[in-house]
Amino acid sequence: MKTLFRGAAATAVIMALTGGTAANAATQGTQGATSTGSVAVSVSVPNRVQLSGLTDVAFTNQDPSVAAADAQNVCVWSNTSTRGYNVNASGSGTAGAFTLANASLTVPYAVEWAGSSGLTSGTALTSGTALTGLTSTATNATCSAGPATTASLIVKIAAADLQSMQAATSYTGTLTLVVAPE
Amino acid sequence: MSGGRTSSSGSRGQPAALRQRCRAAQRSTGVSLLINGCFALLLGSAGPCFAASNNVRITGLTDVAFGTVANLSADAVQSQSLCLYANTASNGYNVRASGSGAGGTFSLSSGADELPFEVQWNGTAGQSSGTQLAANVALSGLTTAATQQTCNSGPAVSASLVVILRSAALSSASAGSYNGSLTLLIGPE
Repeated sequence: MKTLFRGAAATAVIMALTGGTAANAATQGTQGATSTGSVAVSVSVPNRVQLSGLTDVAFTNQDPSVAAADAQNVCVWSNTSTRGYNVNASGSGTAGAFTLANASLTVPYAVEWAGSSGLTSGTALTSGTALTGLTSTATNATCSAGPATTASLIVKIAAADLQSMQAATSYTGTLTLVVAPE
Repeated sequence: MSGGRTSSSGSRGQPAALRQRCRAAQRSTGVSLLINGCFALLLGSAGPCFAASNNVRITGLTDVAFGTVANLSADAVQSQSLCLYANTASNGYNVRASGSGAGGTFSLSSGADELPFEVQWNGTAGQSSGTQLAANVALSGLTTAATQQTCNSGPAVSASLVVILRSAALSSASAGSYNGSLTLLIGPE
């Protein structure tokens, strides 16, 4: 039995314009032995998140008597004041269901998310329903500085579901994760 | 705003035009008094010529407003052309920049959050890049093509100011509105 996920990730972007202080007008220099001018500099940085560090999930020759689980550490970055975010997952099954398929054969799987890296279990996700109230410790958009990973993605297939699968058959699917700032 | 460097005496350091006017005055009369640009008191042809001081002026500056930066993964660049006038013999000048960050650093702030920026200068108008300026350090050896102190005749602009927000800084910054200022001090050369 061979089960293969093709992982996919998506980042969601929500922009929020934040109000800023009106910039002072530029001042022009006068003629003299020295001359001084000045300008106001302003920029607005919108709310942004980024999900990176995802790897495909592949269960190969899985023993159907033992539940399968795969945990991976990922980078979630959020630039909001609380570094908060939510995650919304959907699978490639009907209506976004978390299922793998081979033609008409399907098998369900479960998805969990933890707001810290290095974990093998987390909060179960429901397809199409955002898990809110998460925060990130990332200080860089791709975790190239600061913590290298900040969250855990766990994919599981129950033993009972493994036992329902046809042997020597590859089941594949895609899991999409949408992260949004909070 | 201007500083108070004292004027030079005699013809040394004068603009070429002033020196020519001094020499012409010296040739034409034994005792001359020129008010417009060159104040000369001569005894015979060898007397000193007192010229106006070396003057510079920066005008045409506009605020640098990046607005909302949609793509934090790319550098945000704002350049502007301005008028830089110097009446020295070589039309030379230097520029010293300071920001509103601590110690004059080039940094914007949003509450306690800081966002650094970079400043470049180009001695030619219409440029989108130039020589990197360090805060409080003069960039020297510049010359200007301006022939009038506010560029209302001759070239309308003569230098470029470039302000850059690097993607690394943008993508590390917390969301919010950042403000600051950039001050440019021009000196003659």
